[in-house]
Amino acid sequence: MFKFLPVFIFLVALLNFNNNLFAQNTQIKGFIDGITTYQNGQVSFGFEEQDLFITSQITDRISFLGETVFKFSPTSPTDFDVSVERVVFKYNYAGNNSLLFGKQHTPIDYWNDSYHHGRVFYPTIFRPLLFDANIIPLHTTGIRLQGDNLGDIKFGYDFMVGNGLGSTDVQDNDKNKSVTAALHIKPADGLQIGGSFYSDVISKGATPHDFTMPVKYQVNQNLITGSVAYFGKKFEVLAESTFAYNHADSIGTKRTIASYIYGGIRVTDKLVPYAKVEQINYQQGEIYYMKDNVTSFIGGIRYEISYLAVIKLEYEYDKKEIEGRINKITAQFAIGF
Amino acid sequence: MINKKSSSLVKARFFKTFLIFTVVFTGWLSVNAQDVPLTVIANTKGAPPELTMTQLRSILKGEQLRWKDGSKVTIALMKTNTPTGLNTCKKLYNMTPNELNKLFLALVFQGRGEAPSFFNSVTDLEAFINQTPGTIGIIESNETNSERVISINGKKAI
Repeated sequence: MFKFLPVFIFLVALLNFNNNLFAQNTQIKGFIDGITTYQNGQVSFGFEEQDLFITSQITDRISFLGETVFKFSPTSPTDFDVSVERVVFKYNYAGNNSLLFGKQHTPIDYWNDSYHHGRVFYPTIFRPLLFDANIIPLHTTGIRLQGDNLGDIKFGYDFMVGNGLGSTDVQDNDKNKSVTAALHIKPADGLQIGGSFYSDVISKGATPHDFTMPVKYQVNQNLITGSVAYFGKKFEVLAESTFAYNHADSIGTKRTIASYIYGGIRVTDKLVPYAKVEQINYQQGEIYYMKDNVTSFIGGIRYEISYLAVIKLEYEYDKKEIEGRINKITAQFAIGF
Repeated sequence: MINKKSSSLVKARFFKTFLIFTVVFTGWLSVNAQDVPLTVIANTKGAPPELTMTQLRSILKGEQLRWKDGSKVTIALMKTNTPTGLNTCKKLYNMTPNELNKLFLALVFQGRGEAPSFFNSVTDLEAFINQTPGTIGIIESNETNSERVISINGKKAI
């Protein structure tokens, strides 16, 4: 009799699924931007990633989010790569608490989880330099508990266990798992204060995403981050700091600090002048990151035609340990579609 | 020559009248959009009979995913380019239509919420609410035929 039980369960699940298909709501949206840059006496035109994201309400409690990016890649035979950025299955098990599974934006830092590829949301043209310096893991594939807007102070949490750095999207490269714990509160309209902790053991010989060389030592990595974000009717402030501790048994612990502060003033409904200062400092003898101390200043102006179309013009000055001084002016037209 | 002059004078007067009418009418629409009281209606399942204004604003911003009975919170609004939609944006969200749309686009993109269902007509909105458990919606007070009106701070019209 019990041998029919799995078939029975499958049929019940199928019937239930079909009932809910009637209410399924699937949407496809996307982002892209075109940029013009003036640097070293040369003007260049281009466009950045084309981002497509799909959301679908499968049942009353199960939803799906997929995000795919098409981007320029000089090593690809077609000059473009397709990158699956997010595949998230979400089960809302009680109230504002959910269980998520799949490839996700690592819930570390405000910018990474809030904007990521949605360039029309960015307050500046480019994301902070700490992203390109691989200071934080941008994506993690794994399982996550998420809660939002709990209680009067709108408390939120994200706890995630995933494949560590050096893994692929389909398999972990070692037995170590990365752990992320992030907490935040939203005590007033437009204000979010948060902090997070990330820990991973990166195996010797692993090649994390965007690294060109394998890691020479086993590295125990711990990240501690803090952020304050305020986007009000008149003022905008976003400040984040990441403290990274990379430890190798034969060398010891090396510390890196990456911080930025962004500020903007809305002078009219659509116009926001802004500035951003960013600094990344690596300790001498850093063992995991590419040591390239940098100080960066950005001043710009943002014109929001609508929530789906934004124009920005900004000047950027970077002082980098390896590349030296960089001056550039960039104009961007970013849209959501 | 005189005919040409008088014709252009008539045109100018007509243009002025049209301009004044447009300004007055637009102003009237905008005042009207702000002044008409709103009513919160809901499906028989989900929303409680009474809410505070703070709770309502939080729910409308997508900050509550489920009602106490476990049903999923779904928000139904008039499109932001309709007078009722504009009124809802100003009175209940304290936002422009642009800010409201941006709020929900960001929420959906972050995977932390779902956008409201937007409607062109009150009839369609009410029909959707009646058919969809857990739905809460906003219409103007003089338009409601709904059996389930939710009190906000003890008032049926806000």
